Amino acid sequence: MSLTIEKRLAPSKKWMVLSILFALVGSAIASALLLRVTGADVGVAFAAFFDGAFGSSRAINKTLLRATPLILTGIAVTVAFRAKIWNIGAEGQLYAGAMASYWIYFIIGPDIGLFILPVLFLAGFAGGGLYGGLAGFLKSRFQVNEVLTTVMLNYVITYFMSYMLVSGPWRDPASYYAQTPRIDKSVWLPKIMSGNKLHIGFIIAVLCAIAVYIMLTRSSLGYEIRAVGHNTRTSMFKGINIGRTAILVMLISGGLAGLAGMIEVFGVSHRLSAEISHGYGFTGIIIAMLAILNPIAIIFVAILFGAFYVGGLTMQVATGVPSVITSAIEAIILLLFLSASTLTRFQITWKDKT
Amino acid sequence: MCGEKTAPQSVAKQVSGRGPELRPFLKVENVTKRFHQVVANDKLSFDVLPGEIHCLLGENGAGKSTIAECIYGIHHQEEGTIYINDKPVALSSPAEAISTGIGMVHQHFVLVESLSVLENIVIGTEAATPILDFKEAEASIRTICERFDVHIDLHAKIWQLPVGQQQWVEILKALFLKVRLLIMDEPTAVLTPQEVQRLFRIFREMTEDGMSVILISHKLDDVMRSDRVTVLRRGKNVGTVTTSNTSKSELTNMMIGREVELRVKRDAHEHSGPLLEIRGLRAKNDFGAEKLSGIDITVNRGEIVGIAGVAGNGQGELFETLMGVRKATDGTVILEGDNITNFSTHNIQKKGMGYIPDDRFSAGLIGDFDVQSNLILGAHKEPPFASKGILNFSKIKEFAQKSIDDFEIKTPSEAAICRTLSGGNAQKVIVAREFAQATKVVLANQPSRGLDVGVIEYMHERLLDKRRSEFGILMASEELDELFGICDRVLVMFKGKILGDFRSEDADIETIGLLMAGQKVSPTRKPV
Repeated sequence: MSLTIEKRLAPSKKWMVLSILFALVGSAIASALLLRVTGADVGVAFAAFFDGAFGSSRAINKTLLRATPLILTGIAVTVAFRAKIWNIGAEGQLYAGAMASYWIYFIIGPDIGLFILPVLFLAGFAGGGLYGGLAGFLKSRFQVNEVLTTVMLNYVITYFMSYMLVSGPWRDPASYYAQTPRIDKSVWLPKIMSGNKLHIGFIIAVLCAIAVYIMLTRSSLGYEIRAVGHNTRTSMFKGINIGRTAILVMLISGGLAGLAGMIEVFGVSHRLSAEISHGYGFTGIIIAMLAILNPIAIIFVAILFGAFYVGGLTMQVATGVPSVITSAIEAIILLLFLSASTLTRFQITWKDKT
Repeated sequence: MCGEKTAPQSVAKQVSGRGPELRPFLKVENVTKRFHQVVANDKLSFDVLPGEIHCLLGENGAGKSTIAECIYGIHHQEEGTIYINDKPVALSSPAEAISTGIGMVHQHFVLVESLSVLENIVIGTEAATPILDFKEAEASIRTICERFDVHIDLHAKIWQLPVGQQQWVEILKALFLKVRLLIMDEPTAVLTPQEVQRLFRIFREMTEDGMSVILISHKLDDVMRSDRVTVLRRGKNVGTVTTSNTSKSELTNMMIGREVELRVKRDAHEHSGPLLEIRGLRAKNDFGAEKLSGIDITVNRGEIVGIAGVAGNGQGELFETLMGVRKATDGTVILEGDNITNFSTHNIQKKGMGYIPDDRFSAGLIGDFDVQSNLILGAHKEPPFASKGILNFSKIKEFAQKSIDDFEIKTPSEAAICRTLSGGNAQKVIVAREFAQATKVVLANQPSRGLDVGVIEYMHERLLDKRRSEFGILMASEELDELFGICDRVLVMFKGKILGDFRSEDADIETIGLLMAGQKVSPTRKPV
């Protein structure tokens, strides 16, 4: 008997569902074992996990709140990855969007109330978009590898922001921390339901995911993005401007990440600081890969990740397991999901060796 | 050619007469291989004797490459058995095939362009130690080169070599691995007539030693030099015949199941004035070496101009420059009086130029897209396929279905992934698309490479249709029969220059063959 692995002609839908089930069951077993080793009561821990993530409307709200920036960064990298442009800079573009929107708020001030919101959304998108577009421009004009530029630009923006917050004009003089003063309540993103923290940013993120899905599957632009991603040479021979597409893709990709930054500033932290993103730009990459670059699937995977975080916190509190255990569980789940997802693209068969 | 070495009769005799004592090296028995619903090989059986050149002949999609890839361990048959020396084998990878003594040279070479000939030959081998012994390898490769009379610079980088030479590298690789059976997929596609002769001389040297060769070819001239021919049709063995007992017309008949006239008739057609004028065109390849050194070509309305020449002499660069994918460093391209030199590809296509590239899946199609998406590539922003940036799928589907009907594209549906189509049908997708989009000029680079007679004829008919509707057509091909058949004029391209310009009626194959090898007509010199 020998084991052979063959590439499927097309990803299998049946195995996509089965692999998710495998991964879920597998990660439940692995997490249970890990919890057992640390001496925690597995039943209590799991109950706390589910209760914390989905147990009440408050829990669900928290989960969705956490999922919001992840949806946006997930679809941001999806747009780029579909064109085989490896944007590793969603984190930096998120901060660029956050800074651009805060800058506009800093200039206009809170006097016009919620009327400022469309401008702030635009500023967030433009900030992230221009920052991503810079990498796209460098790629198309000078053939600079976008992996390098986007990673490096992450550092540039973080240090620039540190300057603005530590010794620059944005620093809150009344605070010990390097952060801006709190944004006026009148321009906070409106809540979806009163009493909960979930704000309209979630709806905007979901709408963006749907829009990106439609853009990728039904528009000429999306067609071009996919064409370039699958075969640059053929696309070039058929008159698609590769450089222009790269810049456009990075504008959109960066813009969506920038929107996530704006939404975190005006919806969650209500001030600009280095703590607004918990690596959302990087987690977005994982989410996009798990969702096989499908924007609709990204919504659900992002919610799952939100649940890991929120449920994990509750589990820590309930069982007293160290916080690294929740990170470890998260990692186990990821690895299992990623290995199971290969089943959708490859088939493994046992062969008789006669 | 040395007389005593070209004796195919020895094996042929044994095949027809005293067969039983010669045990086949390879036996394929009732092999069935399916790709989803498509049956590529259907209970296929044949055998290959030691020391024979065995040809697999068949139309595109007949399953020749599939069975070769099953033997070479790339695919695995669902049913049936492959025997080597009477022992059943189940090869799960090319590496295993190589260790069993089977080598394969693919239609598209798998060489590392930036490495030297020597390195390319050695990297595939399984070394006993982690450090490759290049000195020893070089010595043994030199011995092989002398034995088979192959002249090649072992230290030249692959990209520096013409395509014809790259083929020798692939063959040397197989010889270096000491294979007992060499599978050659369309080996003569990139060779001059003189080089083909040499290739067969080497095959004969190999078979003298008891090696076997499986030759996959469409060219009846090649097939006639083999010992036996197995003809495939729709994945089945139509018959295995001894070459000396058959004829080209019998083989063609077996292959497509009907008698065909090998040449499409070119009717008299008066052209009407210049359409595409290329003047002093120069361009460089990706490595900065000049590949076009002042090209002058005029294509008139209603005229087919052929470029004869071995691939790699600048044909690709010429078409890329004409299509705006490559920058011209000097010279002009004029279409209907407008200077379109170095226009963007998009604008050149808008001006009415279409292009059928030689490498279907790397320059003509997007393999992972479905057939309908490939059919609108290039027109995907314009009505009727899109309006205000949104694709109109019902219009796209309608157009795709019409194209599939008109061009007889064999595909499960318009939504089938293009990569799963056979070479001929993939080519038809490109032809359908370019003919729909082009309004004035069609450029074609090796349009019939790897295609069977049926599809080639079909394409020729279509090209002649375009000629009748006053298109200008410029096509490069290595098939002289093809060029003489449908072109009004034939030019010869060698090392970035046009060496000759003949009216098809006045040209003879011998002269053009020599020009293709870069020789001024001097038949006394020994061919390369």
